[in-house]
Order: sequence, then structure tokens, then C-alpha cells
Amino acid sequence: MTKEEQLIIINDAISQTKNNLKPLGFNLVFWGVLINFMSLFHYFFPEIVQFSYYSSVIYWVSIPLLGMVYTTYYNIKSGTKIGYETQLDRVIRIIWAIFGLSWILKVGISLLYNVTPTQDILFLLGAVLLMTGLIIKFRWITFGGTGLLIFTVYTYYNPTLNLLLVNAIGITFGMLIPGLSLYFLKKHE
Amino acid sequence: MNKEIEKLLFNPIRLKTVSFLMTVETCNFKALLEVTGSSKGNLSVQLKKLNEAGLIKIDKYFQKSYPTTDYSITNEGKNSFEDFFKQLHYLKNE
Repeated sequence: MTKEEQLIIINDAISQTKNNLKPLGFNLVFWGVLINFMSLFHYFFPEIVQFSYYSSVIYWVSIPLLGMVYTTYYNIKSGTKIGYETQLDRVIRIIWAIFGLSWILKVGISLLYNVTPTQDILFLLGAVLLMTGLIIKFRWITFGGTGLLIFTVYTYYNPTLNLLLVNAIGITFGMLIPGLSLYFLKKHE
Repeated sequence: MNKEIEKLLFNPIRLKTVSFLMTVETCNFKALLEVTGSSKGNLSVQLKKLNEAGLIKIDKYFQKSYPTTDYSITNEGKNSFEDFFKQLHYLKNE
């Protein structure tokens, strides 16, 4: 084997590595659809969600927890199917895992002090989306994260806004639309 | 450059494996089969040799009751590959 042949082998092997962003797109779409559906269902049918003192708490904790279980299963399955993890994939996985843990903490603290966590979670989500967009160099997620951050800051100054609609609007533009554009992206190396 | 490493990376399957592992954090056997285009038996033998030389790390564990193996490059492997690559470029340009 000549030196040139060795260099070609190295080049070919390296060029086979691709960053796997489709699972991230799926995660964003899944959560975008789930949270939107939950927000709008709560908005249009409050008598069902709030039929007792704890029912809305159970509604907003149990369904997202089930969602977390499902997306964790999906991510493990897609990771096994792809067969490898790049450094970028690892960074994104860590960032979103920490977001998940922060979400659980925030919801726990809010229940303890009887306050609504919506705006704080949206703010955190905006920051994580912005980081993700900048790291993977995908402008729609960067725009979505920036928009969500600005929108959340705006809602802090307008306490009369309905937080369920705020949730639906923020999630649609910050998560669902950028997630769809990432999911249907044909190639992202 | 270490002659042992040079000899080890002279094999195309081993060179492809180490080159690919340089670009990823971890990788499973199936992905390495696709990258190298090798047979299962041959790849297993080459991976064992790379592991014995300290260039790659092999992690075996169970996932949903199925035995799974992850491969990653060691720090020694990274340094050796970088030296090998520099030397290759130097010799090519000579």
C-alpha cells in the first residue's frame, strides 16, 4: 500500500462520518406537537383539565413525563440504529438532558411554592434552542430560540396574557416550525 | 514514528477503523462493518489487535438483555494516529 493509498483510505473513512440531526428534529417536532396539543386542550376544555384541585398538576406532570420516557426510548433506539455518536451529537444530547432535568426541578419547585412555571420554562427552552441552533449552525433553530427568548421576556411585562396561549405560540414558533425544517432537511453534514 | 504502530496501520481495515474512530466519540460493531466493508470475522480480529496495542478501547455491556459493544479511540491511539498522519504527509511531500 502506497502513501497516497493510505491517505485516500483515511480520507474515505473520515468522510463517512455525518452528524445525525434528524433525531433532534424528531424530538423538537414531538415536543412541539405534544405541548401545543396539551396547551390548547387545556385552553378549550378547562372544565376537564381542572375538574379537581390536583387534576391540572397531574395533567401537566404525568403527560410530559411519559413524553420523556418515549423520547428517551426513541433516542436510544435511533442511536443504536445509526451506530455511532459524533462529538457534536454528544454535546447536543448533554444540553437537552440538562434541560430535561432543569424542567423537572423547575416544575417541582413551582409545585412547592404554588407558582406557574410556564414563563421560566419557556425562557430556559429559548436559551437551550438558541445554543443548539448556534452549535449545529442551523439558522431556523437559532431564530426560533431568539424569538422565544424575546417573546418570553415580553410576557413577563404583560401578566394579563393567557399563559396557555403564550405556551402554544412560543412552542409553535420556537420549537415546532424549526423542528419540522430540521426533520425534513435532506442532508446535514 | 513507532514502527509497531506503522506496521499496525499498514493494514487497510485497521487504518479505516482508526481513522473513523478519530471522528466519533463511540461507535458500534455494525457501523464499523459498514465503514470498513470487512467481514465480521476479519473485523473482530483486527479490532482485537488494535485493542491489544492500546489504540482503541472496547466497552461491552447489556442493552435490553442484548450484549452490545462500543468502540472508541484511546488517547494513545489519537496521538499515534496524529503522528502517523503527519509522517504520511511529510513522506508524500518529499
